This record gives sequence, C-alpha cells and structure tokens, in this order.
Amino acid sequence: MEEEQEDLPNPNQASEKTLDAASRKHAAMLERLANRKQSLSSRKPSSDSNPDSFESTHSFLSRFSQSKLSIDSDLSRSKSKSDLDRVSISISDLEKLVAENSYFLPSYEVRTCLKTISDLKQTVENVTSEIVPKKKFGFKNKKASTGFVPEIEPEIQAFEQEKPSYPIRELPGFREKENEVLVKEFEGSEIGEFTISDLNFCEVRLKGCLRALFVHRLRNCKVYVGSVFGSVLIEEVEGCVFVLASHQIRIHHARESDFYLRARSRPIIEDCNGVRFAPYCLSYDGIERDLREANLEEETGNWANVDDFRWLRAVQSPNWSVLPENERVGGVTISNLDE
Amino acid sequence: MGLLSIIRKIKRKEKEMRILMVGLDNSGKTTIVLKINGEDTSVISPTLGFNIKTMTYNKYTLNIWDVGGQRTIRSYWRNYFEQTDGLVWVVDSSDLRRLDDCKFELHNILKEERLSGASLLILANKQDIQGALSPDEMAKVLNLDAMDKTRHWKIMGCSAYTGDGLLEGFDWLVQDIASRIYVLD
Repeated sequence: MEEEQEDLPNPNQASEKTLDAASRKHAAMLERLANRKQSLSSRKPSSDSNPDSFESTHSFLSRFSQSKLSIDSDLSRSKSKSDLDRVSISISDLEKLVAENSYFLPSYEVRTCLKTISDLKQTVENVTSEIVPKKKFGFKNKKASTGFVPEIEPEIQAFEQEKPSYPIRELPGFREKENEVLVKEFEGSEIGEFTISDLNFCEVRLKGCLRALFVHRLRNCKVYVGSVFGSVLIEEVEGCVFVLASHQIRIHHARESDFYLRARSRPIIEDCNGVRFAPYCLSYDGIERDLREANLEEETGNWANVDDFRWLRAVQSPNWSVLPENERVGGVTISNLDE
Repeated sequence: MGLLSIIRKIKRKEKEMRILMVGLDNSGKTTIVLKINGEDTSVISPTLGFNIKTMTYNKYTLNIWDVGGQRTIRSYWRNYFEQTDGLVWVVDSSDLRRLDDCKFELHNILKEERLSGASLLILANKQDIQGALSPDEMAKVLNLDAMDKTRHWKIMGCSAYTGDGLLEGFDWLVQDIASRIYVLD
C-alpha cells in the first residue's frame, strides 16, 4: 500500500508496480495451494493405514492367503465338533472379508476367492461327516452364518422348555418317504396348504391349484407343481429340481438345485448356493385352466429376477445363476395316469 | 410443565401415530398394509428393506413402517424401534413348523425397552387357509399370557387375502394408542 501511494505521481510506473504486486500475490497463492495439497496427500496415507480399509488387490490377496493357510492348518488339526465350529466361523469371517472388499477387486479374484471358500466349506463338511457320522442334513454353519447370537434369558429358556400346548395337527402333505412317486390332484378350490417334507429320491407331482406350499428338507427329489395361488416357502433342499408357478417364492438354505419358475413377484433366496434358475416348463391336461385360475397364465420373466438376501450389492450374486439353455430340461409333461 | 405433557401436546396437535409392523418372512405384512390402504395385492415381492405408508385412519394419521422379515434382515428391526406407538406382530397361522421361531423372535422383540410402552396387536393371519391355527390356539402357542402385565395387547384372527379382521384389529390398536397418548375428546 505504501509503495503505491508513493508512486502515485507516475501512473505508468504505478500500474507496473500493482501488476508486480498482483503477480506476487498470485505466486504466493499458488504456493499456499501447493502446500495444502501436499499436506493433504501426506495425510491421506495415514488414514488409509486403517487395517480394515486397504484398497489394494495385492495386500488383500496376501491377507486372504494367510487366513486360508491358518484355516487349513486348523482344519487338519480338528478333532472334535467344537474345533470344526471354530473353523467354520473363521471361514465365514473370511467370506465376509471377501464381500467387504469385493467392490474394488477384479472379478476374477472375487470368483477365485469365493471358489476357495466354498472348497473350504466342502472340506469342513467332509471332515464333519467323518467325525459326526450320519446326520441327515448338513447345514452345519447355519448358526455362524446368521451372524447373530441371540442371548437367551432364563425366563425365555423357561418358555422353550415347555412342550407345545397346541394340538399337533396332521396337515395335508407328503412326509418321510424314500424312492417313491407321490401324486396328488387338487380338485375344487377348497384346498388350503400342502406340505412336502423329509423326502429322499422322490418324485412329487401336484396338479391343480393350491393356496400355499411348504417344502422342507428334500434331497435328490423332483417336484412338479401346477399352480400356487399364495406363496411357496422352500427350506433346506439339496440336489433337487423344482418346476413350479406361484405368486411368491422364498428359498432358504438350498444347495445345488435347479428351479424352473413362474412367479408374479421376484423370487428370493437366502443362505443358498449353487442354485440355478430357468423358466417354468410344466404341462399336463388342464394346466392352462389351473394357471389361469391362479392368475399365473402370463410369463412375467421374474424367474430371472432373483433377490439374494445374502448378497445385497449391485454385482451378480455368486450364489445363483441362470441355468444355461443347453442344460435345461426341454419340458416336463406329467400324464393323467401316473406311475 | 413436564416433558411428558409437552410430548403429549405436540402429538395431540398432529394426531400422528407411528406403527411398526414386524413378523417372520412370509407372514403377510406387506399384503396387510396394502389391503387396508385399498391397494392391489396381487403382485408383492418379498420385502427387501422396508416400506412406509402414511394413511388417514378415522381422524388420525398413521405412519406404518412395514419392515422385511427375512432372517438376514431381522437384525435391522431395532433401527425402527424409536418412537413407536403401536407394534403389529404378524403370524402366518398356517406355518406350524416355524411357530417356535416366531415365538422366539416375538419374545425377543418384547424385551426391547424402546418398545415397552407400545400397544401390541398380534395378527393371526391367513385364517382363510384350511388348517390354520385359531387366534386362541395361537395365543397359547405364543404364550401371550406370560407377557408383562402392563402391556396393552390383543390377538386378532385375520386374512389379508379376504380382508377379514384387519379393520377390527387396527380399530383396537388406534383406539388403544389414542387413549394412552391423546386426551380423550
């Protein structure tokens, strides 16, 4: 300021001086900016050193393989059920780690890691079946994978110990069968729900229209269903093929099974893996009428709009896939005279 | 003027009620909400997350929070407990196999302090299906008599499919909440 006042008599010089001052100011500003940027970038790595957020594929992979090695060695030393439970927990932790970091990992790495994890799970299962022989179903890591351990207070335990006081009804259904063809035709609209549970190597054919279907613990079965006006709940199935049409479809704890579906809404899966989906392909005499009655005559394309509640992110869930066309059954026809 | 009376005064002006709908997956929560709101119930996907419905019921505004019941997302229920005036627990009365599961989750949620003042309506849904447990049987199975004596509760049989019992249940709930938080006028 002083300078400018001093030089006021000479306008030319003054403007030169102000120019000079301006450029000096500018330079100072640039320097300040540069400093600021540097201090910012020097601060950044320190915040990145937080052990949980490392966006580097390399460091992730080394961490992954370390965990895998330790799981492998734990597994080889496992002698009891509780050892295995511990191993299962570390496997699901590892799975969580992959899921948390999958947003920056290349898809190849994600796939490889998930494959490794499913191999580990398989090994655990094999070891489990050696240690704890013949248990009908093998969903061992159910507890660990739900991720929350309910605390049970004494009063609640008292509830649990009481025997159910309600009449145990024998509701319509097929239960505890092996190597059989089970056929049921629903006539009229008075049918309510139907249950199929604890079947092994069976073929189930349900014709007509029913309100609700419960499916529980099936192994290596084929299930063909006309139309379900309400909802279908499928739990704990393995190695099965389902062909069914329904308003709502929920699938929990299913493994290595194929679903040929028609659904009014989006089918959902939870705690499943290796499940594949294709469009509905059943036919029998009068199926059009049954489908129409349940408002299911229209192909909605929802069979491919599967929501995985265990995979709430934008990338495709590793737990399910569309059944490739060349592996689909061409169409299933069940005749009136069965056997 | 105590804090409680201030809260009452604010609430009275707005005549608003916050209602939380929970229960196991496949019990019919979303269908019930859409049905009482007079909407189409033929295409409903299992709820991934939650839905909020605001509707006028008698002279009150109900904010109904319909939260998904799949096992994976049950742990998020707690995020909706705050300031709940009425709790609606929906049961699929035809799903006998999962009644223990249902009972466990219900008693778990009732231990929650933030819900201790909420009126509880239990809807024994799907009464239209053959073989469904009646409301009385359901009350026994869920051991409702063992609940805290201070709790205002009612069990009601209903069918989201036909609409039977829904309005009766919500009438009770709204009246009960109103008698607690609004001065009767």
